[in-house]
Amino acid sequence: MENERKNTEALNLICEDPWGALPESRQEREKIAGRNRSFFSDVWFRFRRKPTALAGLAVILILLIFALFGPYFTKYSYSDQNLDLVNIPPYLSVFEAEDGSCYFYITQSLKVVVVNKDGTLGRQLTRLREDEKQKMIFFDYNGEEIAIFYGMQPYVIANPVARTVMPRAKVWNRSYVLGTDTLGRDILTRLMYGTRVSLLVAFIAVIVNMVIGIVYGGISGYAGGAVDNIMMRIVDIISTIPLTLYVILIMVLLGSGLHSIIIAIGTVYWVDMARVVRGQVLTLKEQEFVVASKTIGSPTKTILTQHLIPNAMGPILVTVTMLIPSAIFMEAFLGYLGIGLQPPLASLGTMCNDATENLKSCPHQLFIPALVICLIMFAFNFVGDGLRDALDPKLKK
Amino acid sequence: MSEKTMLEVRDLTMHFMLNKSKNLKVHAVDGISFAIPRGKTLGLVGESGCGKSTCARTIIRIYDPTDGKIFLDGQDITRLSQKELKPLRKKMQMIFQDPYASLNARMVVRDIIAEPLLAHGIIHSKKEAGEYVYPMLERVGLTREHADRYAHEFSGGQRQRIGIARALILQPELVICDEPISALDVSIQAQVVNLLKDYQEEKGISYLFIAHDLSMVRYVSDQVGVMYLGQMAELCEAEEIYRKPLHPYTQGLLGSIPIPNPKLAREKVTSGIQGDIPSPVNPPEGCRFCPRCPYAKPVCSRETPRLKEVSPGHQVACHLY
Ligand SMILES: Nc1ncnc2c1ncn2[C@@H]1O[C@H](COP(=O)(O)OP(=O)(O)OP(=O)(O)O)[C@@H](O)[C@H]1O
Ligand SMILES: [Mg+2]
Repeated sequence: MENERKNTEALNLICEDPWGALPESRQEREKIAGRNRSFFSDVWFRFRRKPTALAGLAVILILLIFALFGPYFTKYSYSDQNLDLVNIPPYLSVFEAEDGSCYFYITQSLKVVVVNKDGTLGRQLTRLREDEKQKMIFFDYNGEEIAIFYGMQPYVIANPVARTVMPRAKVWNRSYVLGTDTLGRDILTRLMYGTRVSLLVAFIAVIVNMVIGIVYGGISGYAGGAVDNIMMRIVDIISTIPLTLYVILIMVLLGSGLHSIIIAIGTVYWVDMARVVRGQVLTLKEQEFVVASKTIGSPTKTILTQHLIPNAMGPILVTVTMLIPSAIFMEAFLGYLGIGLQPPLASLGTMCNDATENLKSCPHQLFIPALVICLIMFAFNFVGDGLRDALDPKLKK
Repeated sequence: MSEKTMLEVRDLTMHFMLNKSKNLKVHAVDGISFAIPRGKTLGLVGESGCGKSTCARTIIRIYDPTDGKIFLDGQDITRLSQKELKPLRKKMQMIFQDPYASLNARMVVRDIIAEPLLAHGIIHSKKEAGEYVYPMLERVGLTREHADRYAHEFSGGQRQRIGIARALILQPELVICDEPISALDVSIQAQVVNLLKDYQEEKGISYLFIAHDLSMVRYVSDQVGVMYLGQMAELCEAEEIYRKPLHPYTQGLLGSIPIPNPKLAREKVTSGIQGDIPSPVNPPEGCRFCPRCPYAKPVCSRETPRLKEVSPGHQVACHLY
């Protein structure tokens, strides 16, 4: 009823003068539709639209929580070794005890570990003797004898009296969720510390590079002329120094460790950023809005921080997202060369490196840290991509 | 120079060096002189590439002039450093040719308009901007709701009004308008011109109003100068130039150039000027217009004509007069 009335009203308005202008005030004409948002909610709004960017952000946050708070929830430390439990996989092939109360697991050093029904590792059985004729090693389990029979591959656990192989089973490792490494250290715990180191290297590399690169490139591009020439020649010189040689030199001077890696990466990687920023500033400073700012009398600082750098943010972010993976790789590479982080400290790179020794028997030791490296890189790339689009208000929908 | 002269330019020259060793330079502006009385408007007209923007930018000291003198309100600003110029920038502001490129896409309108206030210490934080920005927005026909939007959300006409608001917020005494309406629709041009005219009547400010054809400056100018290839061809009262254009180039611009050959004349009465504008790197000898001039005499390609007064207030640089 109400609707109908409105419709006829509108119809009347149109029919009165079909070609005439609708009544409209000046104010109304200038009004723009759409909500009005602050800068950050605006960026967030556009960022949210990209599922890949959101997924990347989520992965980074999860990894961050994992790396920062994870260590408080494990009972191991990254350096705790347990040489009896070396190279234990996350998914165990075990043998069920005859009374069905627990499982037995044969370690690489031919010892037998009790695995409880819930998958946690229990005590180690005491070794009694070895019978080479029977190809058996005897252990004591609650007064009864059980034996490892190494006459067949893989070795099995048998009842030496009945001469039967105990029933096989598979069970997830609950004590070491991701298994242990060659020194019997918990991989999950080391992964947390490794992720921590990698993210730390990444963040510091980014911050140092952004600050030095933007300031240096910005000044160089803005000043132009002879100043630009000299500053860029310095950049050229720095970028021709072989990076590894330089890093090794720094390591020799400062001793190996996290601080040397950070200093090494921080003092070299900014040259790319400086070049990108300079190129952007060179083109942007000819734009009319920068000229306008000069005629207004704005100080150089305002021109750089308000006009030039915000407009160069897209390429800067792209450079950053390419820089993070290379910084992480650099750290891993240094670890591989043995001049990076020193054991027992863990980083994703050194973990990969350690795992290559027994790649055949324990591929998961390489797979897990490599997967985390991949995740970090994908995540940063996606976030950088999303951020670049979100920071560009022209793409606002 | 009288007390009432707002801007005086004497033999202003701006050459851009292209190649030092070969001594190649762009003669963008080559000895231009004019004066704008307080509260008046000088319209500066010329083809694209004749050096209008360069002239404007040199006056506002984005470029350091090669030669000549610039007096703002009686003060010689030709060789002042950027630091010394800063307090004077309050007196002199500029409106730009391109309403799209002249506003920073990463800033909201409030910050764009507040930038001059912050630069000159009139306000000390962006929070105080509203007090100045809102009345100015309303003055140029926008509303305070527009203050929190990015410039790219506006139409060309609205953007140009934002640019005008930015130029006017410091209450300058001289505004250099570099083709403020060329990039706009005809329907919006009148809006912007009226806005500028109203403001002039209210505050008594002076304009240097640049355009590339004579019809655009007709309604705003008290005086009109016609530029050709970096030089002033004709300079006189606004009405006079439409009534009695003297320089063949001005006549061509007005589309009323009589052609000696009567056969051609019938077809080409309104054809304007033939040929292209020569390169400012190698400007022609003598009168720069002579290669395109239907009245060219031998003397024209030898001697550069000086700007001379042929009737009271009417100056022209041509050997015909
Ligand atoms: N920074 C510069 N360096 C070298 N040459 C320049 C520079 N700025 C302008 N020029 C040249 O000076 C001449 C005049 O340019 P200007 O921009 O002043 O023309 P204009 O009259 O404003 O043209 P339009 O109507 O297209 O805006 C042109 O030939 C141009 O190429
Ligand atoms: Mg121009």
